[in-house]
Amino acid sequence: MSTNTGTTLATPALQLIDVHKNFGATPIIRGLNLEVRQGERHAVIGPNGAGKSTTFHLVSGRFPVSSGQILLKGESINGLPPYMINRRGLSRSFQVTNIFPRLSVFENIRCGVLWSLGYKYSFWHLVERAREARERSEAILEQINLSARRDVPAGVLSYAEQRALEIGITIAGGADVIMLDEPTAGMSRSETEHAVALIRKVSEGKTLVIVEHDMSVVFDLADRISVLVYGQVIATDTPQRIRGNPAVQEAYLGAHAEEPDHA
Amino acid sequence: MNRHTYLLPWFVAAAVVLVLPYVFSSGAAITMMSLMGFAIIFALSFNMLLGQTGMLSFGHAVYYGLGGFMTAHALNVIGAGKWPIPLPVLPLVGGLTGLSFAILFGWVSTKRAGTAFSMISLGIGELVAACSLILRGFFGGEGGVSTSRTATLRLFGISFGPQIQVYYLIAAWCLLCMAAMYAFTRTPLGRMCNAVRDNPERAEFVGYSTQMVRFIAFCVSGFFAGVAGGLAAIHYEIVTSSVVGAVPSGYVLLMAYIGGVAFFIGPIIGAVLMTLLQISLSDYTGAWQLYVGVMFVLVVMYAPWGLGGLLLMHGPLLSAGTFRRVLPAYALVAVPAAMLFVGGVLLVETSHHLLVKATEGPAMRLFGVSYEANSPIVWIAILVLLVVGGLILKRVSPRVSEAFHGARQAALNKRVSA
Repeated sequence: MSTNTGTTLATPALQLIDVHKNFGATPIIRGLNLEVRQGERHAVIGPNGAGKSTTFHLVSGRFPVSSGQILLKGESINGLPPYMINRRGLSRSFQVTNIFPRLSVFENIRCGVLWSLGYKYSFWHLVERAREARERSEAILEQINLSARRDVPAGVLSYAEQRALEIGITIAGGADVIMLDEPTAGMSRSETEHAVALIRKVSEGKTLVIVEHDMSVVFDLADRISVLVYGQVIATDTPQRIRGNPAVQEAYLGAHAEEPDHA
Repeated sequence: MNRHTYLLPWFVAAAVVLVLPYVFSSGAAITMMSLMGFAIIFALSFNMLLGQTGMLSFGHAVYYGLGGFMTAHALNVIGAGKWPIPLPVLPLVGGLTGLSFAILFGWVSTKRAGTAFSMISLGIGELVAACSLILRGFFGGEGGVSTSRTATLRLFGISFGPQIQVYYLIAAWCLLCMAAMYAFTRTPLGRMCNAVRDNPERAEFVGYSTQMVRFIAFCVSGFFAGVAGGLAAIHYEIVTSSVVGAVPSGYVLLMAYIGGVAFFIGPIIGAVLMTLLQISLSDYTGAWQLYVGVMFVLVVMYAPWGLGGLLLMHGPLLSAGTFRRVLPAYALVAVPAAMLFVGGVLLVETSHHLLVKATEGPAMRLFGVSYEANSPIVWIAILVLLVVGGLILKRVSPRVSEAFHGARQAALNKRVSA
C-alpha cells in the first residue's frame, strides 16, 4: 500500500487532465478535467451515457486513455495495469457485482487483504497461519455486517449482501483512494440507507469518489459534486452550488424536477 | 481441537500405502499400485491448472514426458560414470526438467487465459510431439530411451531391482507430492489461484497480476508433472516418444475430470480408477477405451462435479444420519441402471466380436454365458434391455433427486436445530 510520502495536502488525490477516450471512431470522453482533493467525498453525476463508468475504468486502469494525463497523488498512472494502480493505493468497486463467487465470504475479503500485507505471490506461507490477514478480514466482515455469513460461498449471498461484500473487497486492501461505482443501484430504500451509512463509515479519513444515480444519496454524502455531460465535466462544486448552477440544471437536473429538497 | 489433527489424514494415507502391498501382494497388483502412484501425482499437477486456477491445458504431458526423458538420460549418465547419486533423488531431475520447460513454455502460454491458453498449450504439445520424432538423439527415435534403475549408488543395500522396492519409492514420492500440492492450495498464492479462476478481472483490482498468478501456478504444476514422469521412467526403465504426445495429455484430463476437478481429492480418485480400468479392463476386452470414453461423457453430462463430487455430496447425509432415506430410491434406480449396463456391455462386446474378431466365428462368452454373436435372440435381448431400461430410468430418476434433496434438507434441519 502506498502512502502519502512526498505529497502534501495540496496535492490532489486524483487529477484528470484533458483526458480523451475513443471507442473506435466514437469519442466517449472528450477532454475531461477533474480534480479530487485528498480526504474529500466526491460524487460524479450525470445522465446515462455521459461517461461516468468509462471514467472509472480509465482511472482504475481497466481501459487505457486515448490521450491526456491521469495523476494519482501527483504521480502519473497512465498506461499502468489495474494491479499496479491498486498497489499505489487506489481501489474500486463495480457497478455490476464483481466478486469471487465460489470462494467463501471471508475468503473474498482475505483476497483483498493479502497483497497489502506483503504476501504477494507467496507459496511458502500457510494462509491459515497469517494471523494479521485473518484479523483484518474479520474486522472488515464486522464492518460490512457479514460476519454471520462468513463461511457461505459468496455466490449464494442476497443481492444487497453481495453489494456490501463488493464494498468490503474494495476497502480490504486499505487503499486511501476509494472509488465506488453506483454502490446502491438496485437497492430498496432501507438497504440504501444502510449502504450509505456503511460508505460513510468505511471512507472515514480516506478520499472517496462515487458515481451515483440516487440524488438523495449524492447530496447526503458528497462534499463536492462533479457533473459529467457528454464526456466532459461541466461543473465541480459543493452540493448547494451545484443545485443552483443554471448550466447543470439545464443539462441534467432539469430532468429531475421532482428532486427532493435537502435543507 | 488439537492443532495437529490436520495431520491425521496424512498418517492414515501413509499407513494405507505401507500396508497395501501386504493386502494385494501379487506382482500384478504391486505394479498396478506403482502406476497409480505416479498417475496420482500427474493428475493432481494437472488439476493445479484446471481445477485450481481455471486453466485447461491440452499439452500437460509435455512436462511429464520431458521429465521422464531427462530422468532416463540422467540414470544412464549416472550408471555409466558410476556417480555417487542414489536413485530416490532422481525424480527431482524430472521435476526440475518439468519446471524448466514450464518456465520456458509457460512464459508464452500464460500471457493468455481461457481458450487462447488452451490453444497455445495444444500447439506446444504438438510442437514437442513433432520434435520427439525428429530429435532422435534426445528422444531415442522409435525405440525410445532405455535405462536401468539398478546401476545407481546403493543405499542400505537397496537395489531397487524388485518391484516392491520401486513401489515404496513411488509411494513415498506420491505422499510427499500430495502433501506439497495440498499445502500449496493453502498458501496465499494458492488462494489467489482460486480467485483468478473465479474472477480474473477482480483479482487484478485487488493488486494481483493474473498473468503472474497463472505463470507461477503453471511452473509449480510443471514441476510435479516432471516428478511423475521421472517416477514413470524409473518404473518402466524405458521412455518412448509417445509419452509427450496428445494421448497422455488427454488421458490426464480424463483422470482429473472423471474424479472431479472441484475437489483436491477428485483427481486422486480419478487416477486410481482410470489406472485400475486401464490395466484390468484391457485384460477382459479390447473395447476398454470405449467404456472409458462413455464414462467420461456420462460424467460430463450427469455428474459435472465428478465421482469425487458424487461421493462428497453424501458426506453431510452420512454425518447427519439421513443417508438411510436415499437408499430405497437408489435401490430402485439400480434396477434400470443394471439393465442399461448389461445391455450396453452386451452391445459393445457382441459388436466388437463380430467386427474385430470376425475370423474366430460367432461363438463367444460373456458374463460366463456362451452364445452366438449373430443370433437374433441376443440382439432382441440387447434392444429390450436398452429400451426398457432407458424408459424405467426416465420414470424413476426424478425420485432419486427428490430423495436426495429431501435427505439433504433433513440433514440441514438437523444441523440448524442442533
